[in-house]
Amino acid sequence: MKRDKEFSNILDECLERLLVRGETVEQCLEKYPEHAAELEPLLKTAAAASKALAIQPAPEFKARARYELRSVLEKAKLEKRVPFLIWQPRWAMAMVIFLAVVVAGGGTVVAADDSMPGSPLYPVKLATEQVRVTLTPSDIGKAELYAALADRRVAEIAYLVNKGRLQRVELAAQRLKKHLAKMNSLHLVAMAEKKAAGEPARAPVLREEAEADSEMTGRHTHAQAKRQARFRVVLGHYAVNHPAKLRALLERAPESAKPALQRAIAVSVASYEQALEDLD
Amino acid sequence: MQDEQDLAQRAQRGDKEAFAQLYETHFDKIYRYVILRVGKRAEAEDMTQQVFVKAYESISSFRWKGIPFSAWLFRIARNLVIDYIRKEKKRPTVSFEESLVASDSNPGLEVEQKLDIEQVVSATRRLTEAQREVISLRFAGGLSVAEVAGVMGKTAGAVKALQHSAIVALRKVLLMGEDSEKG
Repeated sequence: MKRDKEFSNILDECLERLLVRGETVEQCLEKYPEHAAELEPLLKTAAAASKALAIQPAPEFKARARYELRSVLEKAKLEKRVPFLIWQPRWAMAMVIFLAVVVAGGGTVVAADDSMPGSPLYPVKLATEQVRVTLTPSDIGKAELYAALADRRVAEIAYLVNKGRLQRVELAAQRLKKHLAKMNSLHLVAMAEKKAAGEPARAPVLREEAEADSEMTGRHTHAQAKRQARFRVVLGHYAVNHPAKLRALLERAPESAKPALQRAIAVSVASYEQALEDLD
Repeated sequence: MQDEQDLAQRAQRGDKEAFAQLYETHFDKIYRYVILRVGKRAEAEDMTQQVFVKAYESISSFRWKGIPFSAWLFRIARNLVIDYIRKEKKRPTVSFEESLVASDSNPGLEVEQKLDIEQVVSATRRLTEAQREVISLRFAGGLSVAEVAGVMGKTAGAVKALQHSAIVALRKVLLMGEDSEKG
């Protein structure tokens, strides 16, 4: 028992020399010639295992992880600054729902929302999405919507691969690409700059008016900043999860579906990276 | 160590830059530790991110008391890994041997000359949980014996003994693997 303890200490000291100080196995053995026979194979195994484990995370993953962490930090900062929720008008969404119910009938639209490519209700789903895009007034709202639609398309791609309906994967991947391209065309850089600069205020006439104006502008800027920060968090989440989901599919997909999946992965990685960069 | 203590204290006061520096310092090590424990890249990536989000959320609860920040971070990672392994045991999965070991192994080489991450992950699956933990923290995470002891809640002596038995077991498993390939 005592001998074991002594040997464990010697082994640990040699490991420190080998792995931390960069000495060779031979240098360690010279220091403990009486244990050399026992030490040598263990040190060689430890050195080889340690070398094999010196892997680096993929640069692409590191970049995405940094973005996501930054989003979390940003969100936490905003929540500290604005302790209460600022009400935001939701009329656009309400209008969409109202119109959709009137035009297509509530039950049909709700059922279509869950439909998948190939189902008879799927064209209704796509049409409803188009109506929502058209009726969404702001750029940030449209960008949020396109990101949500991209999320739907990824879910549909997964569904199609899992069900073996591979002939439709290409089309779903093209729709994904289209949504992401539209999202990135919405001048996200300009949005971020506007956020940084704050909203320009008109010249106030009275002191009270100036104070009220300033308060309104402040609230609006806070609301905008908070919404953009939320969007950033969503993008950060999708930037990690969409390529990961698609990669997982790629591993088990038949050869015929692989080119479309590879293109979808490349597009999602590049698009989210671009969008996050623009928002910064 | 002093720098790390200073950074951790600044991060506790809400200094984002300090937290970002801690993140950059420890990210790779945490990832290596997690991937060796879970053996799957996508899961390891998700979990590595979770470690830092959790660390940020609970950094106010970190107390120095001689335990370095890295050990605290690895403790978070370890808890996540334990939860993951517990959940994984409940559902049937493909074994690591089937899914990760490279198929182009070259049986003519010595154990110590040719090892890759998949072989090491696969081999550590044959070790006891404690042995595996020590190998992961020491060789993948790069922690000292004292830090490993802090993470695992054991004495330094116990960690050294575990480290010894883990390397012996690892070598045996790797040699067995080579023999079966040769045979």
